[in-house]
Formats: sequence, C-alpha cells, structure tokens
Amino acid sequence: MQRIDLTHYFKDNLFSNNIKANSKQDAIAELLDMFVESKYIRNREIVLEMLHQRETLGSTGIGKGVAIPHGRTTAASDVLIAFGKSEKGLDFNAIDHKPVHLFFMVIAPPNDDGNVYLPILGSLVTILNDKKNRDALQKVEDFSQFISIISGD
Amino acid sequence: MVKKDLELLVSLQDIDLMIEEVGDVEKLGFSVTGYSELRKAREELAASISKPLLFRYERLRAKLKRAIVPVKNDICLGCFLRQPTAIGVKGREDEQIFTCENCGRMLYWLD
Repeated sequence: MQRIDLTHYFKDNLFSNNIKANSKQDAIAELLDMFVESKYIRNREIVLEMLHQRETLGSTGIGKGVAIPHGRTTAASDVLIAFGKSEKGLDFNAIDHKPVHLFFMVIAPPNDDGNVYLPILGSLVTILNDKKNRDALQKVEDFSQFISIISGD
Repeated sequence: MVKKDLELLVSLQDIDLMIEEVGDVEKLGFSVTGYSELRKAREELAASISKPLLFRYERLRAKLKRAIVPVKNDICLGCFLRQPTAIGVKGREDEQIFTCENCGRMLYWLD
C-alpha cells in the first residue's frame, strides 16, 4: 500500500493536546466537535451516527494506547484528520483493553481525490506501530511539534 | 420533509460504504466483529425510507456505486459537473430531491 504524506490532512484547528472526555462516546463527540466548530462538517448528527455505527462493527481502538475512529460520509467533502491526546487515557474498548491516550479521527467523503482514504489509514497505522512515534506523540505540546513527528523530521 | 429523506439516504449510503470496506479495514489491523449488527442497522434504516425512494437509491447504487453525492461550490462531487445556480437555490429549500443533469445522482447540499 502506498505511503502517503499525511501532513496535508491535519489542521491546527483539528488539534487538541488536552482531550477532556472520560468515555468513548464523549471522546468521539469531542473529536467530531473540532470538525464542526471549524466548519469542516455542518451536519454533526449524521456524522456522529456514522461513527457510532462504525464502532458497532468493531472498536477502532487498535491497541497500544491508540484509537483511529474513522469513516466515510456523504456529509463531508474533503478528507481530514483530527488529533486528540488524553493525558490520563480512557477506556475505548480497545482490542488490548488498555486505556487510549492518542486519538486520530479520520473523516472522508464517499469519493476522494486519488482514493487516498485507505492509504491514509494504512500510513497512520504504520506511523503508530513505531513506539518511538507513540512516545513522542504522548509528549506533544503544540501543532508544529506534532507535524514534525508525523512527517518524520 | 425532503431534507429528512436525504439525511436517511446519506446515513444508508454511509453504512453501505462501511459494509463494502469491511475487508479492507480489517487488513489494516482494525478489529471487525460486528458485521451482522451493521447489516441489521442497515435493514432497520432501509425500512424507514419510503419504498419508491429506496428503489430509486438501490437502482442508482447498482449502476453508479454512489447514489447520493454532495454538491460543493455548485459542483456535483459524483461527476464534477457544475450545477446551475438556480438548482442550488431550490435544492436548499427542502421541497424536492434534485438529481445531477449529467450523471443522474441524487444531490445533497452540504451548506
């Protein structure tokens, strides 16, 4: 699978180093609200429903303290990724049952330029499989630091 | 009323896209166990949509893969043809479902 330069898909208004949610549902809503407040998504309820349906298919908590809630929705026109970090971690029903600290929410339209949605998910998984990157992201304080980690600089 | 129908179709298509991509996301390392729950949610949602509209959706899906697409900056994101401005004004009015004159997909305005 092609490796994608992910830096184009992150925005500083879709970055939070202090996720306040205490539950899975609240974390999904808090991440989604970054898209809504930045006006990237207008129909919050449709997208929230899609994300909840996706979680019924299987948790997107992929283990090692990472969750990547994701989905395609007709209510979005561009592929974008929000990042959230929770210092204390929260129960996300992850496959290894460990608390999740790092959240990447990927929202994509049904059709995207170059069909990059799955390669984006693949590239994220590859980056996050590296413990060095996960440790660095746990300590991230601002958006520019975050982009350096994601781009591998 | 039309807006509600469009929202139901958008949700139905979102679930259909998820069902299609189950195998692909599983290969990436995501756990996929709730396939039957997703199918059930799909059936329940489909039952809440009027039969003629559902038939129209299914027919378009079979032919074009995506039956309902967003319009952004007056462009149909299914075939990328510019839509007449008048359609955009009427399309936001919640009275009628509009289709793209070029590809025939049902249109959904994001703003």
